[in-house]
Amino acid sequence: MRQKRFWLILCSVIFLASCWDFNRKNIPPPDNQPKVLGYKPVYGAEVFAKDILYSATALPVINGGNIYAFQNYLFQVENGYGIHVIDNTNPSNAARIGFITVKGCSQMSIKNDKLYTNSYDDLIVLDFSNLSNIQIVSRLKGIFQEYRYGSPIAEPPVSGYYECPRTDSFVVKWIRDSVNQYCYKQ
Amino acid sequence: MKKLACILVGSLTLFLYSCEKDAGNSASASSEVGKGGSLAKFTIVGNYIYAVSMHYLYTVDISNPTAPVKVNQSLLSFDMETIYPYKNRLYIGSRTGLYIYSIDTASSPRLIGEAKHGRSCDPVVANDTVSYSTLKGNSFCGPATSGLYVHDVKNINNPVLKKTIPINEPIGLGIADSALYVCAAGEGLKVFKINNAYDPVINSTIPGNYFIDVIPYNDMLICWTRDGIRLYDISNRLNPQFIKLIAN
Repeated sequence: MRQKRFWLILCSVIFLASCWDFNRKNIPPPDNQPKVLGYKPVYGAEVFAKDILYSATALPVINGGNIYAFQNYLFQVENGYGIHVIDNTNPSNAARIGFITVKGCSQMSIKNDKLYTNSYDDLIVLDFSNLSNIQIVSRLKGIFQEYRYGSPIAEPPVSGYYECPRTDSFVVKWIRDSVNQYCYKQ
Repeated sequence: MKKLACILVGSLTLFLYSCEKDAGNSASASSEVGKGGSLAKFTIVGNYIYAVSMHYLYTVDISNPTAPVKVNQSLLSFDMETIYPYKNRLYIGSRTGLYIYSIDTASSPRLIGEAKHGRSCDPVVANDTVSYSTLKGNSFCGPATSGLYVHDVKNINNPVLKKTIPINEPIGLGIADSALYVCAAGEGLKVFKINNAYDPVINSTIPGNYFIDVIPYNDMLICWTRDGIRLYDISNRLNPQFIKLIAN
């Protein structure tokens, strides 16, 4: 019995330890601690934050993520912001040709001209058979609980202090501002 | 350790299993499905999309893309990193080990094999007989020895470590026939000859760039590097020829 309890406590500790975000330093600021220049989250209403938009304009890659190949196209996730579309019909001239805005995005996969990705915790299905008219085929809301707060957009793009984002809202971007020294990204 | 695993699973029963019957499984990757890198957390096999997050493996039925249905959510282990499909198996890399799931019943993946190792980061690629994974023992991933780990997976229930090749900071990797490509961060891209699957032999290193992940796609090697996507011609598998940098 004692042994069982020991294992239970041990595994609870291990389980809880996994919640610890090693990248985040939560330093309770003394009252007199000055604010510093850092990043502040901008929130959006859920319907706005999760809006999908395609633009046939190549954007620079700021914080590139996973890559994906499908027929003559390549894709690269822009962590937290969307997906770069690359035309690879002629590899020696391969170039970015457009950008799908999908806030909170980190993963993607394709089958039969349908692109599956995540917007925060939603599964999004997009039809990109006609690039000039990318359509949302369906949206399965809130199925990836752990992608919601673990989204790359839940942290500012660069290291430094930032205002810890609220967990009941959707971060849509970060702006420079003076912030408390609560959260720190390494 | 087994007891711990038992109690772990037993003590964490706060999630649902839906045990719907599935209508067969066409697990073989068809040409209609694209290909991701080894660091991906999403993959499509047949009519299902499998996704891993830190602690869960999600299964979503996408036979009707206009109405996808989440059919399963399983608590795995801790710190799931990557998912790699091969035939009727899913290879899941985590910070504590390599987990092999059977998707014979596509709607409910079942754990059939595992190879534990020390804490480390761990993408994996595999085929019928062998799996290759990279462990990054430095930084916050933990104390395991950094390098390329080769497992014999012929007996899927009991993967056997055959060889370890030290690499300082390995990340993503990919297989194309007789070649294995391993991203070695700032050291470049390492090309191994794997005619003998359990004994990869270094063939060459493409230096000068920070390689993160690769996708061998037909005769092309698509590389995610820090300053952009690099394309190589791999009609000759062991001798990648640079084609193009799509700069960030």
